Amino acid sequence: MAVPYAFRLAAQSIFHEKWINFLSILTIASGLLITALIALFVYNVDATTRKLPEKFSMMFYLKDNLSRQELENILNTLGKDDAVEMVKYIPKGEALKELKTMLKDAAYMFEGLEENPLHNSIEAKLKREAVCPETAKRLASEMRAIEGIDEVEYGEKFLSSIYSIKVGTRAIGTVFIIIMSGGVIFVCYSTVKILFYRKKEEIETYKLLGAKKRFIRAPFIIEGAFIGFCGGLLSLIGILSLYYLVFLRLSLSIPFFKGIIFPTNISLLLPLTGLLLGMVGAAIAIGRIRY
Amino acid sequence: MIHFHRVSKHYDNQTALRDVTFSIEKGEMVFVTGPSGSGKTTLLRLIYLAEKPDEGNISIAGWEIDKLKESSIPLLRRNIGFVFQDFRLLNNRSVFENVALALRIRGVDEKGLKTRALDSLKVVNLRHKADSYPFALSGGEQQRVAIARAIVAEPAVILADEPTGNVDPDTSAGIIRTFKDINARGATILVATHNRGLFCNTGRRVLRLDSGNLVGEETG
Ligand SMILES: Nc1ncnc2c1ncn2[C@@H]1O[C@H](COP(=O)(O)OP(=O)(O)OP(=O)(O)O)[C@@H](O)[C@H]1O
Ligand SMILES: [Mg+2]
Repeated sequence: MAVPYAFRLAAQSIFHEKWINFLSILTIASGLLITALIALFVYNVDATTRKLPEKFSMMFYLKDNLSRQELENILNTLGKDDAVEMVKYIPKGEALKELKTMLKDAAYMFEGLEENPLHNSIEAKLKREAVCPETAKRLASEMRAIEGIDEVEYGEKFLSSIYSIKVGTRAIGTVFIIIMSGGVIFVCYSTVKILFYRKKEEIETYKLLGAKKRFIRAPFIIEGAFIGFCGGLLSLIGILSLYYLVFLRLSLSIPFFKGIIFPTNISLLLPLTGLLLGMVGAAIAIGRIRY
Repeated sequence: MIHFHRVSKHYDNQTALRDVTFSIEKGEMVFVTGPSGSGKTTLLRLIYLAEKPDEGNISIAGWEIDKLKESSIPLLRRNIGFVFQDFRLLNNRSVFENVALALRIRGVDEKGLKTRALDSLKVVNLRHKADSYPFALSGGEQQRVAIARAIVAEPAVILADEPTGNVDPDTSAGIIRTFKDINARGATILVATHNRGLFCNTGRRVLRLDSGNLVGEETG
């Protein structure tokens, strides 16, 4: 089929039904804008929680009077673990020194200390991708079983709550995005459906004149794609202006907004998303063509 | 070319065609006549696959229509030019576009399209109305546009449903002459009409329908 002709028909229809199309575009744009904002939120929560593992480490406190051999053993076991990035032995003398510098103003606290009350310890940093409550728990219980380790400490509660926030926002965000995408498809669907009904007679004539299904479908799919694309473009303009005109300005006075990361190149996918959703909606609206 | 064997077509509580059997050979020009409601349009629509028969067999150009795949229906229709009783012109397209549509559907490219559509309009004496819209034409002019659209792709078969219903005797004589010309070049033509004047003294076969029955065949 002559492709330019399908585009011409679509263009005529878009122009002829400009009000329906315009309202659909606005609806799609607001739907996609909401979707984009949710995605931005999830993205930011994700990015924030991803930075935390860098600061995450586990402390293994050792019993006193370990032999050199026993210490080597523990260090080796830890170092060989797949989840561990780096191990560092901290003798108790050093720990005390550090504590003293940290609490310089309260030096009186250390007066009269005969003996170092601290333990020798090992700090283990986990690999970035391995940081999760399960791994930390496993490592802790494995190490506790080793003779010579007195106590294991890590921010158990903290770690698991961070993870539930991350998983929760992801899940809720995904559900919302699916619902909103469904809504956008539905708007395209109903728009094309209305146009399709209005052209029922015309389509019947096409069929009687021997048109193939593709010939009948193409202009509607193009129109759906166009509506979706325009909606996506509008939502892109919306979110860009929201970011550059509102968030950035607010960040001058409210620090919270300063932390927002805006993935510009991903947001460029919005018009494309709109286009695809529009095509899907149109295809569903046309449905099966029977002769 | 067109074979009906004991074909019947019923609507809800109405029999439009009953036990109709006939054959039309390639290159023939045949008339179907009968009073209003006798089943002429139904007969043509069956050939065009716009309706399915309730009983009997139809074959067109060697294709058994009950064995035809749905995807072949457009291909079959492209071999047939149909002049609809109610014209079926698109009011939002110019006369030219209406005629050209038959070519676009067949995938003719833009270059060939223009000359062929305009030539076809010339045949029905409407070349000067190419840029008008159907709603701005008289009934007879619309009918001629419908004829131009049916013949433009030079189909092997032409089915014309009351093609002279809205025109004066001179114009209708012209239309019949056009069909004869096209027939002389090899197309098979079937014309449904209740106007005896069209087939009188043509020497062509005339099938006579009455209340859905094929009651006789004569020579015009
Ligand atoms: N879609 C339909 N639903 C119900 N009945 C129909 C339908 N189409 C045709 N009929 C009936 O079938 C019979 C034959 O109709 P048809 O249109 O074939 O007649 P015709 O010979 O073409 O008449 P005319 O000369 O008025 O065009 C009529 O009685 C009509 O009422
Ligand atoms: Mg009729």
